[in-house]
Amino acid sequence: MKNLCLLILGFAFCLPLSAQEFDILIQRAYLVDAKNKIQDTMNVGIADGKIALVARTIPSEKAKKVINASGLILSPGLIDIHTHVFVGSKASTFADGFSSVSPDDFTFRSGITTVVDAGTSGWRNFETFKKNVIDASHTRVLAFLNIAGSGMSGHPTQENLQDMDPEKALEMLQRYPDILVGIKIGHFTGPEWHPFENALVASGKVQKPLLVECHLPRYTLAEQLEKMRPGDILTHSFEEIDERMPIVDEKGQLRPFVLAAYERGVHFDVGHGGAGFWFSQAIPALRQGLKPHTFGTDLHRFSMNSGMKNMLNVMSKFMAMGMELEAVIQRASWQAAQVIQRPDLGHLTEGAVADLTLLKLLEGDFGFVDAGGNRIKGKHKLETELTIKGGKVVYDLNGLAAKNYNYQ
Amino acid sequence: MTSYESFSGLVLHRLLAIACTLLLGTVPVAAQEIDLLLKGGHLLDPKNGINEPMDLAISGKTILKVEKDIPASSAKKTLDLSGLYITPGLLDMHVHVFHGTNTESYIADALTSLPPDGFTFRSGVTTVVDAGSSGWRNFRQFKEQTIDRSQTRVLALLNIVGTGMYGRFEEQNVMDMNPTMTAHMINRLFPEILVGIKSAHYWGDFTQVDIAVEAGNLANVPVMVDFGEHQPPNSIEALFMQHLRPGDIFTHTFSYGPNNRETVVDENLKVKPFVFEAQERGIRFDVGHGGGAFSFRQAIPAIEQGFLPDVISSDLHKDSMNGGFKDMANLLSKFMNMGLSLEEVILRATWNPAQVIHREDLGNLDPGSEADIAVFRLVEGDFGFQDIRRTRIDGTQRLETELTLRAGRIVWDLNGINAPHWETEISNR
Repeated sequence: MKNLCLLILGFAFCLPLSAQEFDILIQRAYLVDAKNKIQDTMNVGIADGKIALVARTIPSEKAKKVINASGLILSPGLIDIHTHVFVGSKASTFADGFSSVSPDDFTFRSGITTVVDAGTSGWRNFETFKKNVIDASHTRVLAFLNIAGSGMSGHPTQENLQDMDPEKALEMLQRYPDILVGIKIGHFTGPEWHPFENALVASGKVQKPLLVECHLPRYTLAEQLEKMRPGDILTHSFEEIDERMPIVDEKGQLRPFVLAAYERGVHFDVGHGGAGFWFSQAIPALRQGLKPHTFGTDLHRFSMNSGMKNMLNVMSKFMAMGMELEAVIQRASWQAAQVIQRPDLGHLTEGAVADLTLLKLLEGDFGFVDAGGNRIKGKHKLETELTIKGGKVVYDLNGLAAKNYNYQ
Repeated sequence: MTSYESFSGLVLHRLLAIACTLLLGTVPVAAQEIDLLLKGGHLLDPKNGINEPMDLAISGKTILKVEKDIPASSAKKTLDLSGLYITPGLLDMHVHVFHGTNTESYIADALTSLPPDGFTFRSGVTTVVDAGSSGWRNFRQFKEQTIDRSQTRVLALLNIVGTGMYGRFEEQNVMDMNPTMTAHMINRLFPEILVGIKSAHYWGDFTQVDIAVEAGNLANVPVMVDFGEHQPPNSIEALFMQHLRPGDIFTHTFSYGPNNRETVVDENLKVKPFVFEAQERGIRFDVGHGGGAFSFRQAIPAIEQGFLPDVISSDLHKDSMNGGFKDMANLLSKFMNMGLSLEEVILRATWNPAQVIHREDLGNLDPGSEADIAVFRLVEGDFGFQDIRRTRIDGTQRLETELTLRAGRIVWDLNGINAPHWETEISNR
């Protein structure tokens, strides 16, 4: 029986072995794959856009292209669960507007292969978003659907209670299950709770998470957290503004009901943005045991050049606050995939789509800035060396995958 | 309201505005306070021949003075820039930023173009010149949609084709190449923004170039030519010596695609003699790196034989941004690793392009000019730089953008040089 197995195995390996088995082979990288519990120096072979083999040694001859990654960190392609990428030409709005940004302009150069748009579109304009941006981007673009019918179209449309129709939202979620990962509620200034309830209903029917933004001034934080189910996501976790009670109180104590929600399984996203991240919240929260589940950047026109800059900068900032390299990579890959219920992403299991990135951990004197313009110093910073999406090199900072130029 | 009334109303408004400026203008001049002092950096200002440690003082939106040892006590705020290079904000003379969502089009109002602010400040650029994405028919839309809403200073070359870069077929339409309207747009309507004319992507003879030059003569501005899609290729010697005028611009200088564009370096890796003559005649050579227009096999022999581009520009668009180009700081670093000095690359991305587009107010650090400034760190290490053919050269230097100022305001601050430590915020409460 054992021999038979070996024979079959041998036969199966025969065919590919005769040619070059892998399109790309990455050698000697420090692989951090949280799903498969790997934190070790490994080789990874890629074929037909998928992860074909992860092993300690894979000979160079088996690959058409070999990338020597010694000294580099290999991570699954990063997932940014909070962006605004429904870019268009309308002035002063996010939905189909100039306040959103094009995903490809920012993703691959910071190791990201998947972004999730955080409710920039609603059921009325999601299909415009899909046609103009999602289908036209190289980045994988997923989305939370806003409970407001026209998404983030500004006042007063996003205040229209009649437009927060759970049936219409549900219909859209069911029509595009591969793109829409949940529902978002974000900007509503009224006292009525039924927009929030509608958002819970629509997401609950498809068992997908609700993402809760912070611009809901008439709702108390305690009530919001109380209504949220395990798996729902609070974003802008470390925000310190008037519109929502901060999670850390004036004395620097994490509020007990916040910790209770965290322990109950509510997910906490960074949602850095231009105003959504403050050291005065994050540092005490981390010390008291609340670590964010995901590093959503809240990328948009007004955050891109601020203290946020890009997702690796946000991750490096958390390292400067004391988080380990492996812990930040886990949150930016496998944990993010779990939070949006996309277990096909965020890991390098054999057979998985070959979305991955090689990172360099720079040493030096770096500074990181929050929304209040305050700085902390750090000794490390992550830099993207190479990004591969679906088995194709889509960003290559130093030409690791390129041939040396030679005179004729 | 009749148009006459609105016109007289406008005149009244302007007079009032001028009167106010005259009255109020005296106040800040008397004060002349230093709002921000950039201290301890190495200043590079090719226009003024400065390449040495020098302090720079900013008052409001403008540069107040550039001197040695300006005391920190004279400034409201001082940034210590020891170990860093201070240069004029970079001027990227070739980009495509007429972003929009018209899926019928490819560059004009379309997704191949990029909103500029996400690329500029993080690489030290404060001014970009859109290279003909729009023509006279759709320039107003470009202005309304992108130029007026961007923090980056956006200037433009107007395409000689009325619809700009809408589609390759429209770009062949000689009936839509109107020198009169093109010149009116540049001279009469938008002289502050439009700095020249673009001729590109034409499959025929010299017709499009000649019409663009005719418009260039009417408007008294330079013409930039992308001469790439002729099979067999048209003579670039004829282009440089007969069709273009001194001051006109040849872009994609180091492109290698000999089947449809004659190259400046021949197959034996020798720069063609007439190329030197053309540069002497005043033809301006622009890099326009792009996604397909920069090859080491052109650039390296050219530089070795003493043919240097006049302007280093990006040709930024969706298909170039993630390739060998990446950003202006990377592109300048690539030229440094091909043998140019830091001063030589900065010249080609500041004062040189400012002169080529006749905007001598830009690309320098003259006192009184708008405070558009870049601060770079020159990082040492083992780096690689690619061309569009996916070949690599190795290098030891890379520019990193530490700080960018646009009109006196900090718009990029990589490491928070300008920020206090977080606990000072707590203690100040």
